[in-house]
Amino acid sequence: MPLDKDEIKEIKKILGREPTVEELAMFEAQWSEHCSYKSSRLLLKLLPTEGKHVIIGPGRDAPAVEIFKNWVVVFKIESHNHPSAVDPYNGAATGVGGIVRDILSLGAKPIALLDMLYMGNPRNSHANWLIRGIVKGISDYGNRIGIPTVAGDTWFDDVFNSQPLVNVACVGLAKFDKVILSSPRPRDLIVIMGNTTGRDGLLGSSFASKPLAEDVDKDIGAVQVGDPLTEKLLIDVIQILVDKGVVKYIKDLGGGGLTTAICETASDYNLGVVIYLDKLHTRQSLTPLELLVSESQERMLLVVDPEKIEDLAEVLNEYDVLYSVIGYFTDDGLIKIFYNNVKVAEVPARELANPRPIRRESKPSLDVLKGLKPLYKLPPESSYEEAIVKVLTSPNVASKRWIYEQYDHEVGIRTLIKPGYGDAAVLRLLDGSRRGIAVKGDANPRYTYLDPFNGAANAVAECFRNLVAVGSKPLAIVDQLNAGNPEKPEHFWYFEMMIKGVAWIAEELKLPVVGGKVSFYNEDHTGKQIKPTATIVGVGKVYDVSKITGFDFKEDGSYIAVIGVTYPELGGSEYLSRVYGIEEGEIPKPRPSSEIRNGRFVYKSIKLGFVKTVHDVSLGGLVSTLMEMAIAGRIGFEVDIDRVFARGVQRIDEILFSETQARYIVEVENKYLNKFLELADKLGARVSIVGRVRDIPNIVFLKNSKILAKLDLANIINLYNRVLEEEIEGGI
Amino acid sequence: MFKVAILKFPGTNCDEDVHHVLKNILSIDSEIVWYKRFSINDWDAIVIPGGFSYGDWLRAGAIASRTPAIEELINARDREIPVLGICNGFQILVEAGLLPGALLSNENGRFVCRWVRTYVERPRGPWLSLVEEGQEVHMPVAHGEGRYYIDEENYRNILLRSPIIRYAKGDNPNGSIYDIAGVASENGLILGLMPHPERASESVLVFRNFRSDGRIIFESLVYSLKRGW
Repeated sequence: MPLDKDEIKEIKKILGREPTVEELAMFEAQWSEHCSYKSSRLLLKLLPTEGKHVIIGPGRDAPAVEIFKNWVVVFKIESHNHPSAVDPYNGAATGVGGIVRDILSLGAKPIALLDMLYMGNPRNSHANWLIRGIVKGISDYGNRIGIPTVAGDTWFDDVFNSQPLVNVACVGLAKFDKVILSSPRPRDLIVIMGNTTGRDGLLGSSFASKPLAEDVDKDIGAVQVGDPLTEKLLIDVIQILVDKGVVKYIKDLGGGGLTTAICETASDYNLGVVIYLDKLHTRQSLTPLELLVSESQERMLLVVDPEKIEDLAEVLNEYDVLYSVIGYFTDDGLIKIFYNNVKVAEVPARELANPRPIRRESKPSLDVLKGLKPLYKLPPESSYEEAIVKVLTSPNVASKRWIYEQYDHEVGIRTLIKPGYGDAAVLRLLDGSRRGIAVKGDANPRYTYLDPFNGAANAVAECFRNLVAVGSKPLAIVDQLNAGNPEKPEHFWYFEMMIKGVAWIAEELKLPVVGGKVSFYNEDHTGKQIKPTATIVGVGKVYDVSKITGFDFKEDGSYIAVIGVTYPELGGSEYLSRVYGIEEGEIPKPRPSSEIRNGRFVYKSIKLGFVKTVHDVSLGGLVSTLMEMAIAGRIGFEVDIDRVFARGVQRIDEILFSETQARYIVEVENKYLNKFLELADKLGARVSIVGRVRDIPNIVFLKNSKILAKLDLANIINLYNRVLEEEIEGGI
Repeated sequence: MFKVAILKFPGTNCDEDVHHVLKNILSIDSEIVWYKRFSINDWDAIVIPGGFSYGDWLRAGAIASRTPAIEELINARDREIPVLGICNGFQILVEAGLLPGALLSNENGRFVCRWVRTYVERPRGPWLSLVEEGQEVHMPVAHGEGRYYIDEENYRNILLRSPIIRYAKGDNPNGSIYDIAGVASENGLILGLMPHPERASESVLVFRNFRSDGRIIFESLVYSLKRGW
């Protein structure tokens, strides 16, 4: 967003004179919504960010949480929605690059990537082009830098046809004593290493801080272009520099480019800087203004003690990484920029880095009434077999193999639970112990659209369940809130409600929100906002990777149990949307106390070996959960739905497809059945034994011992695995 | 004691994985060697691990195969030092002319990461000394340019005299001709393959219904370096 009149007045007041063109560009970049969080900052304070394991909360490029003694996990999420709408391949690729460099800034080793993609209908030709480009961009970049893409979330909906949401997250590991925690001091040198600076991504953050234009292609110059080879070299040299103790401080040159990196570092430590722009290594001849706001990728700022500059040079030369020493820190709090010995800018760091927060007006739109509509006039129930197949073959439910097979999800040889076989990815630490880490990302755009407060809370709860289901203890989350135009009160309201929903349930579940990102202006050129979406990424700790649980059914004869109570909560469900085209009604209620109770029971059951397979119940309800377990295990089952413990249910489809929260399905180790039930009693978890895994070629739903639906397993497996590929490859 | 070099180029990304397996699983002394510092004299065997050397610019393996490190590898061949190329390492060996054929983009144009069943014909040399004729070996693949190609004449005259690793029926992930997953020099000293044996060397990493068979390639090396091949 270009600066407005009030902002220009404010800038004149700060400087006490007319700004130079370079200064104006610096303010435009830094005061963009993307860099400064000016519309969201006041509300972000609502999030609970503290916890006894939290070492660095929000504020740095990435947060750090102690996961085991002397091990910290560094993880963060970011969106690249706007660039991906214009140039899906480069937009998505550079999103990956940026989030990885955030992790590198603390000296951590990146070990996993996640991608949460909310994209259009694959049968819409423009959306199809975007989907292919986005996935290929992530695949080409992520695979080349040698970080496995292990998990994520995917959603297809017409509302994202022209403006997709591309949210990416990276998880890194570091030894506590190696995390970069020292501060820059006056006279320390400022080094920019990595890629040359060029004319790409000029004022990209400013572009991302306004709605998409009707002719978005003309914004192509604001999209950055990625170079994964340089990124890989940055990853390698940073491990070496950290090991050798050569650098004091690292920062990514991301949104806002050099300007943001310099002014935020200076402002955070009450320092000033002197910069000689002509020293920067460049791809082409650039003006001082372009040098200040270019968002060329794969560049990082290093702060180095003058005595160590030669050690730095030696490592960077050995690994063919370009660098330039462009200036130094001072103690006067001023950013002074020179170009060929002419001063082109002089601004106070603190005022540049921190524009005044804006209190935005917020008011619910009429759309939210859809989320309040009671569903007492549902259409009569049709054939259950047909409905089951329809839900299972929804691209939102069906196998994401077409996507995750394009990602190298195994490089690094840490990935123990692989995509498609568990609720979360589990990676081993690879330090000779049995310890590991679980990661997962979640969102449900339909929920947050119908009810942003409860929808966002449900995304946190689903992430919590996914982490528990693999046998990990949830540790912390980061959030990415994707919303519309903050200048429109009825858009801003969704953002406000989503953040309040996240804050509320995070507090209840005792999950600190250690970092996050906000993306506004996700609206098309007609001013219609996308479905506002709260994306949550969580990490959990695993004490013993030999006890983790996937969701593939294992053994003929073992009991199947549903944990938790089922309520008639079809509002906003995949079932109503897919089978009847209805997107309304009250979404399932968040149930934090049940989440804690049932989560504890599941966690203990896994630890004690009482269960061998666990799957959380979410999109598509009990049906899709059970079917996924059978498909992954390639084995049938027989379940009697009368045995499902339910309250207030009047229709069969409510049992089958309700998306009530706080539920899991488990496969019990039969010899421990009694102990399993005793533990449930003791912890107050409601358990119903609903049937058995069966080595038969069918999946069978019974009611009153009579067959309600019977489907051929091989046929179902085939459909489930092929539907997405057919939608995308045959979609035009 | 013998020592194995793991040759690293800019963009190599499976070096640490191979190092872990050699060091912690098979207790082989090994070291990751940056391509600028690589010389053949210090090593009993060489592994070129997977990754994207030079970002796959031009063609996978094309630029790495023109570095001085590769001249050293040609010396390795003449001195009968075992060389293993995994994935991008295989592509580099082919680009350098140390193995016949070519590796093209996957048939469907997409990168593919999945577990496959392969089997070995005419096992011979240090990397396959413990493998039996026709033995099934399970490993994962992860590549975008793994479609092997060779003309019929060379296939008959060269490959059919040498060890070959083929994808099992129905498991060819990329459209390789003759289902070829890996090829070797006639004496088996130089082996290149697209699947990743280092990812299939520990049971904890194995995908459901598969086995950690890749390990046998490294076990063969240990056996052969001790007893010859």
